[in-house]
Amino acid sequence: MAQSLLDRHDVELAALAAAGGRREFGELVRRHSSAVRALLRRMGAQPSEADDVAQDAFLQAFEKCAEFRGEGTFAGWVKRIAARLYLKRKAKDSRYVAELEPEQGESVTPQDAAGRVDLDEALNSLSEIERLCVSLCHGAGLSHAEIASAMNLPLGTVKSHVKRGLDKLRARLSPDGERSGRAAHVV
Amino acid sequence: MSSDEFDPMIERLFSRSPQMADAPLFAAGVEARLKSSSRVRTVALTVAGLVGGVIAVRESTAVDFTLSDAEAPVAGRAIGQGLEAASLSVQSAAQSGLQTFGLADVSLGSLGGMQLFWLCAGALIALAAAGVMKLSQEV
Repeated sequence: MAQSLLDRHDVELAALAAAGGRREFGELVRRHSSAVRALLRRMGAQPSEADDVAQDAFLQAFEKCAEFRGEGTFAGWVKRIAARLYLKRKAKDSRYVAELEPEQGESVTPQDAAGRVDLDEALNSLSEIERLCVSLCHGAGLSHAEIASAMNLPLGTVKSHVKRGLDKLRARLSPDGERSGRAAHVV
Repeated sequence: MSSDEFDPMIERLFSRSPQMADAPLFAAGVEARLKSSSRVRTVALTVAGLVGGVIAVRESTAVDFTLSDAEAPVAGRAIGQGLEAASLSVQSAAQSGLQTFGLADVSLGSLGGMQLFWLCAGALIALAAAGVMKLSQEV
């Protein structure tokens, strides 16, 4: 009996997709689309824009499926494609060039009563450029140099955006996040 | 929280993402786009093949295999006559085939076969160049 698609490993499905298997690729999309779409939203894309870019990323991934050799995860591979596509789209808008300075006076979003760590909420406290750099670095797995090259920014600028973003996230997400978050505003 | 503890934690948080309720719908959308793009490719290849085939058949009907007595030895003349006969039968078969599809009287303007061939080749090269440009922009 033929092995069910659900039982197959990503690498196996990708190999079948590379040979033109649309059903196998569909299974990969079902498995990983949420992660890719979530990353794009975390990078600052609006839901509909995130879905458009994610669709394009999966179509591109299908075309290049033979290049996926299973060295990393399939989701990670598609996330990188999606992140680059999103950056390209943003570069056309050239929105982040004007937003190099972090926004001031962001609203403090408290964690919920149970103290649940909510990355999405914490990301809202970052400026758009910090959010983008942190998501590209820790969500899509791009190196600082890759981000600098993709965004056409100096390496040092990217590093400082990532550092500042992580500092803010640490302030929000650590157990005493509320206090340190407020302290950061006072300073 | 130190950076050594925080960095792995943030990576873990990024790798966790809830399954979206409309994930099956999204997957269906991607599959539909895959299907439509492969359909477009199939149609384009079929049309290109048909055009090439029609041109090839029309050209083959115009080939003249006649060899003059002075130019060819006896064996060559025999081969020439054989080819001429085969060519005639292929020509008539091709002509009747083209008539069946209503393509016998298709006029391709004042262009000759070689001109058409080079035009098609040029168009294909331009298409390939555009494809390479697009790919290089995307990578």
